[in-house]
Amino acid sequence: MIDIQKTIVVTGVGVVSPYGIGLDCLQAGMLSGNCCLDPAKDLYPGFEGTTAQVRELPFPAEGFNSRYSRTDRLAALAAQDAVAASDGEISAFRDAGVVMASTVAGLTEIDPGIAADPAGWYRRGGLARAASYPVARVADAVGEHLGVRGPRCAVSVACASGAMALALAANLLLDGAAPMIFAGGSDALCPFTLSGFNSLQALDPSPCRPFDQNRKGLNLGEGAAVLVLETLARATARNANVLAILRGWAMTNDAFHPTAPQQQGNGLADCMRLAMEMSEVSCDEIGYVNAHGTGTPLNDIAEAHAYEAAFRGRCRPIPVSSTKSYFGHCLGAAGALEAAITIVAIRCGALFPTLRLTDPIESPGIDWLRGDVRHQPLPLAMSVSAGFGGSNTALIFGSVRS
Amino acid sequence: MTSNLPTITGIGSVSPHGPVAGLIPQSKLEPRVITAWKTAGLRRAFLVKPFRPADIVPGLKTRRLDRLSAWALVASTLAIKDAGIDVSQTDRSRVAVVFATGYGCVELTAAFYQSAAANGWSGTDPSTFPETLANAPASHVAMFHDLRGPNITVGSKSFAGESALLQAASLLRHGQADLAIVLAGDTLTRAVYEWYETADLLSPACHNSEPMPEDGGFVPSEGVTALLLEPAGRRETRSYAYLRSGRWAAGGKPVESVREMLGSSIPSLTICAGNGAPCATSDTPALAREIAGHGAAIVPPQAVAAGLADTGALLHLVLALSIRPSSGQALLLGTSLATSGDSGFAALLLELP
Repeated sequence: MIDIQKTIVVTGVGVVSPYGIGLDCLQAGMLSGNCCLDPAKDLYPGFEGTTAQVRELPFPAEGFNSRYSRTDRLAALAAQDAVAASDGEISAFRDAGVVMASTVAGLTEIDPGIAADPAGWYRRGGLARAASYPVARVADAVGEHLGVRGPRCAVSVACASGAMALALAANLLLDGAAPMIFAGGSDALCPFTLSGFNSLQALDPSPCRPFDQNRKGLNLGEGAAVLVLETLARATARNANVLAILRGWAMTNDAFHPTAPQQQGNGLADCMRLAMEMSEVSCDEIGYVNAHGTGTPLNDIAEAHAYEAAFRGRCRPIPVSSTKSYFGHCLGAAGALEAAITIVAIRCGALFPTLRLTDPIESPGIDWLRGDVRHQPLPLAMSVSAGFGGSNTALIFGSVRS
Repeated sequence: MTSNLPTITGIGSVSPHGPVAGLIPQSKLEPRVITAWKTAGLRRAFLVKPFRPADIVPGLKTRRLDRLSAWALVASTLAIKDAGIDVSQTDRSRVAVVFATGYGCVELTAAFYQSAAANGWSGTDPSTFPETLANAPASHVAMFHDLRGPNITVGSKSFAGESALLQAASLLRHGQADLAIVLAGDTLTRAVYEWYETADLLSPACHNSEPMPEDGGFVPSEGVTALLLEPAGRRETRSYAYLRSGRWAAGGKPVESVREMLGSSIPSLTICAGNGAPCATSDTPALAREIAGHGAAIVPPQAVAAGLADTGALLHLVLALSIRPSSGQALLLGTSLATSGDSGFAALLLELP
C-alpha cells in the first residue's frame, strides 16, 4: 500500500540547457542525437577546448535583478520554466522551499583583479557582483524570483550537488518543512572552473567519449534544472499533473581522495544499493541508469566497477549511458539535469545512447547504450552522480504507474 | 520523553576562544588587530589565534589545506573526543558529515585568483583548485575519520548553521545515518573583510583599539564549531541538548510560525542567534520576548558568534550553554533582517537535560 504522505513526486520540471529553455527542447535535442559540444576559444586567452554554452541567455522575465550572477540567471530561468510547466498558479507555491545546488555560483562575476586589491576592485564596480559569491545566493535568487518564502538552502558538494539537492529536498518534504520544494542545480561556465579542470589535465580538447577505452577527459557545459517536488498527498489534493515518482534516494562518501574516486567504486555501489533498498526494488527492476560518466579515465572505470557490483546477480546486463556526451559536464547542475533526462527517458520510453562510444570499457554486466535511441517501456530508472571530495548520490525515479 | 530525539553529545570548536573540546570557558574577548595583511590603519576582528593543528590532533597534516578545512578537521576531532566515541568501533558507513559555510574555502580561492593574476588562467595551480571547493572541509573530515555516510555541504543566508543541524537531524530520523557530525564556520580573509568594509557594514570597534560597543555595524569573526549528533538512547552518555523540533523559512510571520511549532511547549530560555545586524540593534531579542513572554530568560546574540554571519548559530548555542547552564526547554532563535514586515527566521526547540 502506497503512503501518499511519504511518497515524493515530481510535478514540474524546468530546464535551461545548451539546447535552449524547456524540457521539450532538451527532449527534442536528445532524441534527435544533436550534440551541443563546440570548440571554444573565447572563454579565456590561451584556452582551446570544447564546451557547451547556453547561447543568448535571456534575463528572467519580471523582477530582473542586477545582482544576479550568470549562475543565478540560469537558476531563475529554470525555476520560472518549472512553474510554467507545472499546473498551478504561483500563489499555490507561496510557502514552497528552495534547495538549489551550485559549485560555481557567483565565481562567474569575479576576475583575478580582486587578488591584488580587493577594496579597489569592489570600488570599481565589484561590490554588488561580489554579493553573488556565496553559494546560498543561488537559492535566494530562485526564492526571490518566484516570491516563495519557505526554507531556502544551497548545496555544494562538487559534481554530486544537483542530485544531492533533490535528495535533501525529499528529506525536507518528509519532515514537513515545506509543502513543496523547488529543487535542482545551476552552474555557468567561467574561467575559474575551466582553468581549474584544465590545470588538473582533466579536459578532453575534443568532444568527450564517456566509457570509451580511448576516453581522454571531460568537457564542461552549463545549464540549470529545477524540479517541483511535493508529496503525492499534496499533488493529489491540488490535482497536479504528476510527471514521475521519486522512489528512492541515497547518499554516501568514498572517504578516499580529494579528487579521485575509490578505484573499485565501492562507495558508489553502496549508494546505489541503498537507493534500491529504500525504493524496495530489486536490481532487476531498474531498466536504465543515467550514469555520472564524465569521460575521465579514473571516474569511468570506477563507475563501471560500481555498476558491476551494485547490479551483480541481475538476469540481464544493466543498460547504462552518459548523457554528458551531449552537452558536457554542468558541474553542480549536472545531477539535476540528468534527473530531468531520466524523467524524460521514463516518460518517452527512450533510452539515450552515449554519443561517440565506439570501444566501451569491458564490463560483462553492463549493457552500454550506443548507436540509436532504444525505445522500450521504462517503469524505473536510476540517475547516479559523484563528485570531488568523494560524494555520491543515487536517485531512483519511477513512472506514475510504477 | 527524549528517547530517539537527536541529541548533541559532543562539542568541538576552533574560534577566537581557541580550539576547545566541550563547552567554552567564559572569558572576556576583545577584537584582535589584523596583521595577516596590510591594512589602511588599525583594523580589528574576532580572529582565531594561529595554532598548529597537529598540536591538537597528533598526525594531522594541513599544510596544503585552506584554514577552513584545517579547522573543520580539528573541531570535528574535538567533538568526537568530547563525545567519548571510538570511531574505529562504529559503522563508519553510517556516519554523516553536514557542513555549513557562507564563503567556503575563500582563502585558497583567493590564492587561485592570485595564481591566475600572476600566470594567466593557463598557469593556475592544480593542487589548489580542488581545495577551493566549498565541500573540501567536509570531505577532509570524511577522509581523516574514514566516514562513508552522507557528506553534505550547505549554505543558507542567515541560517546555514541551523539548516545544517536540522538536515543532520533529518538524516538520523530517516535512518540515513546513525551519527552525524554537524559543522558550521567560515574564515576571514582580506577579500571578505574589505568587502564588509567597502559595503560599510563594519562596527566602529573594528577601527578603534579601545573596548567599545559595536553599534552601527558588526565585528567580523571566524572559526568552525562542530557538534556530534546522535539519536538519544543509542548509548549511555551525557547530552548537552536534545533537538525536539525545528523550522526555518525565508519569509512569513515568525511569531505565528514559531508559536505554531512550539505548540504547548513553553521554553524557559531563548538563545538568540545573530541576524546580520549588530548585536546591540538586533531585533531577535525583541522577537524572542514576543514569542516567549517577558518572564522568559533571553540570552542576547554574542558578538563573536554574530560576526560569523550565516554560520554563527552553532557557536551562539555553545556559548549560551557555556555561560548559562540550564534545564528545561530552550529555543534557539535566529532572524534575518526584516523587509516589508516579512521576516525570515530559524527556530529550534531544544530540551536541556
